[in-house]
Amino acid sequence: MAFVEFRDVRKIYHMGDVEVRAVDGMNFDIEQGELVVIVGPSGAGKTTVLNMLGGMDAPTSGTISLDGQAISSFGERELTQYRRHSIGFVFQFYNLVQNLTALENVELASQICRDPLPAERMLEQVGLYGRRDNFPSQLSGGEQQRVAIARALAKNPKLLLCDEPTGALDYVTGKQVLKLLQDTCRTMGKTVAIVTHNSAFTKIADRVIEVREGRASRVLTNPNPKDAMTVEW
Amino acid sequence: MRSAFGKDIARSIKGSLGRFVAIMGIVALGCGFYAGLRMCGPDMRADADRLYDGTNLWDVRLISTLGFSDDDLRRVSAVEGVRQVMPSRTFDAMAHLGSEQVAVRVSSIEPELAEESTAEGDYVVSSPNDAYLNRPRLVSGRWPRERGECVVSADAPEAFCKTGDTIELLYGSTDIDELIAVRKLQVVGMVSSSNYPYTGSFGSTTLGSGIIDDYLFVAPESFDEDAPYTEIYLTVEGTSDELSESDAYQEVVGATKGRLEGFEAELSSARQADLKAAAQETLDEKWAEYDDEKAKADDELADAKAELDEAATKIADGEAELADGEAEYANGVAEFEAERASVLAKLDDAQGEIDENQRTLDAKRSEWEQGRGKLLSELGATSISDAKDKLSAQQGELDKTKEELTGQRDGLAAQKEGLEAQLAQVQEQIGQLDQLLGAFAQRAELEATAEALNAQIKALEEAGDEEAAAALAEQLAQVQAGIEQLDGVIAASGMDEATATAAREQAAAGVAQLEGGIEQIDAGIAQIDDGLAQIEEGRAKLEEGRTGIKQLEDGKAQIDDGQRQLDSARSQLAGARATAERELANGQAQLDDASAKLNDARTELADARDKYAEGLAEYENGVAEADEKFGDALAQLKDAQREIDEIERPDIYALDRTQSEGAATYHADAGRMDNIARVFPMIFFLVAALVSLTTMTRMVEDDRVQIGTYKALGYGTAAIAAKYLVYAGIAGVVGATFGIAVLTQVLPYIVMSAYSIIYTVPIHAFPIPVDAGIALSAGGLGVGVTMLATWGAVVQSLREVPATLMLPRAPAAGKRILLERITPIWSRLSFIWKVTCRNIFRYKRRFLMTVIGIAGCTALLLVGFGLHDSIWDIIDRQYGPIIHFDTTVGLDGDAIELDVRRACDYLEGTGEVSDIVRVQNENLQAGTATSNETTRVNVVVPRSAAEMSTAITFKNRLSGEELAFDDDAVLITEKLSMKYGVGVGDKILIFDQDDVGNAVGDGHALTVTGVAENYVGNLVYVGRNAWASVDSSVPVFSTIYASTTADDAIRTSIAGDLHDLEGVSTVIFSDETINTYRNMLSVVDMIVVVLIVSAAALAYIVLYNLTNINIGERIREIASLKVLGFTRGEVYVYIFREIALLAVMGDALGMVLGIFLERFVVTTAEVDYVMFGRSIHPASFVYAFVLTLLFTGMVLLSMRHKLDKVDMVESLKSVD
Repeated sequence: MAFVEFRDVRKIYHMGDVEVRAVDGMNFDIEQGELVVIVGPSGAGKTTVLNMLGGMDAPTSGTISLDGQAISSFGERELTQYRRHSIGFVFQFYNLVQNLTALENVELASQICRDPLPAERMLEQVGLYGRRDNFPSQLSGGEQQRVAIARALAKNPKLLLCDEPTGALDYVTGKQVLKLLQDTCRTMGKTVAIVTHNSAFTKIADRVIEVREGRASRVLTNPNPKDAMTVEW
Repeated sequence: MRSAFGKDIARSIKGSLGRFVAIMGIVALGCGFYAGLRMCGPDMRADADRLYDGTNLWDVRLISTLGFSDDDLRRVSAVEGVRQVMPSRTFDAMAHLGSEQVAVRVSSIEPELAEESTAEGDYVVSSPNDAYLNRPRLVSGRWPRERGECVVSADAPEAFCKTGDTIELLYGSTDIDELIAVRKLQVVGMVSSSNYPYTGSFGSTTLGSGIIDDYLFVAPESFDEDAPYTEIYLTVEGTSDELSESDAYQEVVGATKGRLEGFEAELSSARQADLKAAAQETLDEKWAEYDDEKAKADDELADAKAELDEAATKIADGEAELADGEAEYANGVAEFEAERASVLAKLDDAQGEIDENQRTLDAKRSEWEQGRGKLLSELGATSISDAKDKLSAQQGELDKTKEELTGQRDGLAAQKEGLEAQLAQVQEQIGQLDQLLGAFAQRAELEATAEALNAQIKALEEAGDEEAAAALAEQLAQVQAGIEQLDGVIAASGMDEATATAAREQAAAGVAQLEGGIEQIDAGIAQIDDGLAQIEEGRAKLEEGRTGIKQLEDGKAQIDDGQRQLDSARSQLAGARATAERELANGQAQLDDASAKLNDARTELADARDKYAEGLAEYENGVAEADEKFGDALAQLKDAQREIDEIERPDIYALDRTQSEGAATYHADAGRMDNIARVFPMIFFLVAALVSLTTMTRMVEDDRVQIGTYKALGYGTAAIAAKYLVYAGIAGVVGATFGIAVLTQVLPYIVMSAYSIIYTVPIHAFPIPVDAGIALSAGGLGVGVTMLATWGAVVQSLREVPATLMLPRAPAAGKRILLERITPIWSRLSFIWKVTCRNIFRYKRRFLMTVIGIAGCTALLLVGFGLHDSIWDIIDRQYGPIIHFDTTVGLDGDAIELDVRRACDYLEGTGEVSDIVRVQNENLQAGTATSNETTRVNVVVPRSAAEMSTAITFKNRLSGEELAFDDDAVLITEKLSMKYGVGVGDKILIFDQDDVGNAVGDGHALTVTGVAENYVGNLVYVGRNAWASVDSSVPVFSTIYASTTADDAIRTSIAGDLHDLEGVSTVIFSDETINTYRNMLSVVDMIVVVLIVSAAALAYIVLYNLTNINIGERIREIASLKVLGFTRGEVYVYIFREIALLAVMGDALGMVLGIFLERFVVTTAEVDYVMFGRSIHPASFVYAFVLTLLFTGMVLLSMRHKLDKVDMVESLKSVD
C-alpha cells in the first residue's frame, strides 16, 4: 500500500444549476519521502486535489488515504486533527500572521502539535534565524515564504503540501524556495507535494502527476530528479 | 450610470447586511434614546397640561388669612384677565382614617356642579358649567350630597379608607369648629383630583408629619354656614392654549397674577372693612343683649327685695294675729263652762214633769178597767171583741130576714105588674074589635046610601036631568070608594062580623079574671110590710150595745195615747241629753283645736322668720353675683370691641401653579428628565460615531480595488465618496427613523409608567405624540454623526492614487507594543496572549469603539445599579445607622408637660418600648441671608442633648467623624448644607412660616456647628441654649422618639392607647414611612430595567460590529489558523480573546465613567426632600462588571458560527 492513495476521487461543486466536476475520478499513489509535483493548467483541479489531500476539503466520492488512514471518511474534527498533526501547508501568498514576528509565526504552528520541531532550528534551517524577530511586513516575499515553510515544517508533518509556493516570488527567490523544499525532502525525508502550473518543476520531482480535466492524465516517476538550483524556466 | 451606481449600493447593502444593520442599530439606539429621553419631559408636561385643561384646573389661587366673602369673589372676578372664579373652603385637619391618624385636606365641593359633571376618559371631566374648576373625577361610589358625607382620594398611596367608612376629624391647625359643622364624615365615594397630582405628598401642612396624607371633598352643608371662603380659584383668559407652566403660559398667568397682586391691597382693605362691619354688627347685638340682661337682672333683684319686705310685714301681722287668738281662746273656755251648767239643769226639770204625768195616767187606766167589766157582763161576753162578734151575729140575722122579706114583696109586685099588663092587652083587643064592628056597621050604611043614590041617578037620568045625575054619580063614586076602603079594613082583619062579635065577648070575660088576681096579690104585700117593721125594732137595740162598746174602746185609746206621749217625752229627753253632751264634747274639742292651732301658728311664725333671714342673705349674694357677672361681661364686650378695632388687613396671596406642590413637583420631575436626556444619549452618539467610523473604514478598505477601478475609470472623488455616504446615510436614516419611532413611544411610556406610581397624571395613549423638532434634531444628529464618520473613513482612501489602490493594501504592519518592553511580563505571556495584546493595540479605532461602547454599557449598568443603591440607601442608611428610633409620638401644639409625661410614662409602662427621648419639633423654613429661596425644615430641639445619641447618630458623611451634640450645637443635614452652601461656622436663617408655607419675618440666624449625614427630609438639630436665641419660651418637648421591637399587633394596640391619651396627635412607626418611600422610589427600579436593557443593546451592537469587522478583516488569518490545524475552540479563543480583553478594558473604564454618570443622575434626579445615597455598593460594581462580560460572552457565543463559516479554501485562494 502506497503512502498516499487517491482512488476514484471525485469532487463536484454545485453552483446554482451548474454542476462543476472539479475532480472527476482521480487515481494516483505517492510513496513516502517522495517529492511530488502535481502539474496542470489552471482549472484542471490540482488545487482541489491538494485541498482534499490536506484535509481542507472532503471529496464527494472515492477514497483518499495517507499512511493507512482513510482521510476521505474523516469528520470535521478528525480532519482538524489530521491537519494539525500530519500536514504542513505552504501557500502562494505565505499567509503569515502579520502581527507576529517570524519566530512567533513558526511558534504558532509548533505550539499546537504533538511532536514539534524547535522553532528556532526551523528558522535556522530556512536561513532566517537572524530575522526571527522581524514582522512579516519587514521581510521580503521570499523570506516570508521561507518563514511559511519553516512554520509548516515545525509541525513535523507527515506530508508537506505547497500550493504554487513560488507564484508570488521572483525567479531567483522562487528558485531558492524550491531548493529549500527539495532539501527538506531530501534531508528530512519528508514527503513533499508541490502544486504548480509550471511544468519546469517536474524536473526536480521524484514523481510527477499531470492533471487534466479533473483526472490524473499521466503519472510519471523520475528516476533522476535534477537539483532545484539547476532548473531553468 | 445612476442605475449602476444604485445597483452597486443595493448590492453593497445586501452583501454586507451585518455591517448595514450594525450602523442602523447604533443609529437607531442613539437617535431613539436621545429622542425618547428628550420626549419624556415634554410628554410629561403635555400629559399634565391635558389633564389640567381637561379638568379646568385653576391658574391662580388666592388665599387670604382672613378668608373671602361673596363680595370679594365679585371683586376678584372683575379683575382683567380673570376668566372664571370659584370659591372654596379648605382646611387641614388631623383625622382618624381607618386605624390611622393622618393629616387630611378638606375642601368643599358643590354637589350640583359635581353631579352634572361627567368624566370622559381619565383626563377629562366635562361640565356644562364653565365656572366649575378643579373638577375631580369620580372613581367609584357617588358624590357627597348631604351634610356629613365626603369623597376621599382614590390616589392616596396608602388606602386609608374605603367607601362606607367613617372619617373623624380631630383637630386642625386652627380652630376648625368655625369652619366645619360636622366631625364625622361618611365616605361615599373615591375621586381623583388634578389639583393633587403628586401622591407622595398632597401638600404641606403644619399638622402631623407635615405632609398631607389624604384629601377629602365634602358638600358645603357640612361646613358652618358662616364659614368664609378660604380661597378663590380662578382661571385666566388665554391659558388653555398654552402648555401648563411653559414660559408662554407663565407670561399670560403672570400678567393677570400681577394685576391681582396689584389689587391685593384694595381687596384686603375691603375684606377688613367687611369683617369689621360684620363683627361690629354681632357685637352690637351682644351689647344690646347685655343691656337687656342687665335690666332684667336688676328687675329680678328688685322683685326679690320687694318679696322680702312683704314677707317681713307678713311676719309682723302673724304675730299680732297670734296674740288675738290667744285672748279669744281664753274667753271661749269661760263661756263653755257656763253653758254646760245651764244645759244640765234644764234636763233635770224635764225629767220631773214626765214622772208626774205618768202617775195621772195610771189612775185613769184603773177607772177604765171597771167600766169594761160592767159592759161585758151586760153583753154576756168575755171580752170586748167577743161582745162585738155577738152584736155582729145578731145584726146578720136581722139583715137576712129583712132581705128575704124584701125578696118576697118584690116577687109579688112583679106578679101584679104582669097581670096588669095582660089586662091592658085585653082591653086594647076589645077596642079593636069595637072598631071592626063599627066598620061593618058603617058599610052597611054606605051601601044603603049607594043604592039610594043609584036609584036617584036612575031617576034623574030618567028624568033627564043629566046635570044632577052627574053630580049624584060623583057622590056615588065617593061612597063607593068608602065602601071599598072599608072592605079593605075588613079583609085585613080576616074576620067576619060574627067572629068579631064572639071575640068581643071572650075578651070581656078575660078582663074580669084578671082583675080578681090583682086583688090577691095586694093582700100578700101588706103581710110582708108588717114583718119588715119588726126587724127595724131589733136593729135599734143592737145600736145601743154597739155604742157602749165604742165608748170603752175610746177610753182605752185615750189612755194608750197618754202613755205614748209620756214615752215619747221620755225618749225626747234622753235625746236632748245626748245632744247636749255631744255639743259639750264638741265645744271642748274646738277649744283643744284652737289651742293646737295657736301652737302651729307660733311654729309657722318662727319658720317664716328663719326663711326671711335666709332670703335676705340670698338676695344680698345675688346682688354681689350680678355685679360681678355684669362686670365680666362688660370687660369681655370691651375686649371684643378692642379686637374688632384691631382687626388687621388680611394677608392675601396670589399663587400660581408653580407654587402648588403637586404641579410643581411634577413639573420639576419633567425638568429632571430633560436634564437626564441631555447626558445619557451622548454615550450612544459617541458610540454611533465610532461604530460608523470603524465600519465604514472597513468597508472602504474592502473596496480598495474597486475604488481604484472607479477612479481609473474616471469617477470623481465626490461620486465615489457618495456611494459610501449614501450607504451610511440610508443606514442612518432607516435606523434613526426606526429608533425614533419605537423609542419615542417606549421610553416616555416607561418613564411615565414609572412616574405614575407617584403621580396621578394619566399617560397618553399610543401613539404618544412626538415633537417634530426633537425627532428631527435626533435624526439629524444621528445621521450627521454617521455621515461625518463615513466621510472621515472615505477621505483617506480617496487621496491615494488609483495605482496604489489597485494593489492590495499592505497589511497593517506588526508593531511592537509598549508591553513588550517590559520583558518580565512579556516573556511570561504565551505567544497567543502576545498576539492578542498586539492585536488589541493595532487597530486604534476599533479599540476606541469597543472600549467606549463597552464602557458605555458598563456605565449604564452602573448608573442603574448605583441609582438603585442610592435610593435604597435612603432607607437603609437613614433608618438604622442614623435614625435609631422607630417610633415617633407627637403631641398637639397646646399639649402641656403633664400630657407629655403621661405619654412617656405609658410608653415606659408597656415594657415594649425603650430609649425614650423627648424633643421639640417645629415645621419651619430655612434659608440664608444671600438666598431668596427657603426650604421647609424640621427643627428638632432635644430636651437633653446627651440623650440624643440614643435616638440619632450625628456623623459627617465625608469625614466619617461623629459630631458632638450639646446644648449649644446647631447641626444641619447634608442636603440643606449643599443646597445653600452652608458649612461649619456659617449662618443659617430659620424663618416662621405662614399657612401657605411661605417664610415670614426676617428669620433668626444660627451658626452651624456641624453638617450631619441624613437622607430623608431637611432637618436642623438645635441645642436648647442655641434655640433660646430663636424662641425664648421654654418648649414643651412634645415629640417623643422611642424604639420598639414589638410586632404589629402590639404596635397597633400601643398606638390605640396613645391616641386615647390627652394631647397625643400622631403615632408614627418608621416602618410605615419606609413603606411609603419604598413605594415612591420603586419608580427607579423601572429606570434601572430600562438602563440594563439599553446597556445590553449597546453592548450587543458594539460587540457584534467589532466581531464582524474583526472576522472580516482577518479572515485569511483565521483560515490560516484553521489550515494549521487549530481546532474550533482554539480559533474562538484566538479571535475572541482580544475582544474579551477589550471588553474587560471597556468594562473597567465604564466603572469610572459610571461613577461620574451616576453622580450626575443622582443629583439631577434628587428631590428637595431627600438626599440619595452617595456611594455605589461594591456589589453593584460587580453586577455591572459581570453583566457586561455576560453580554460580551453572549455576543461572542452568537458569533461563533461566523468563525465556523470561514472557508479555508475560499479565503486562501486569492488576494483580496
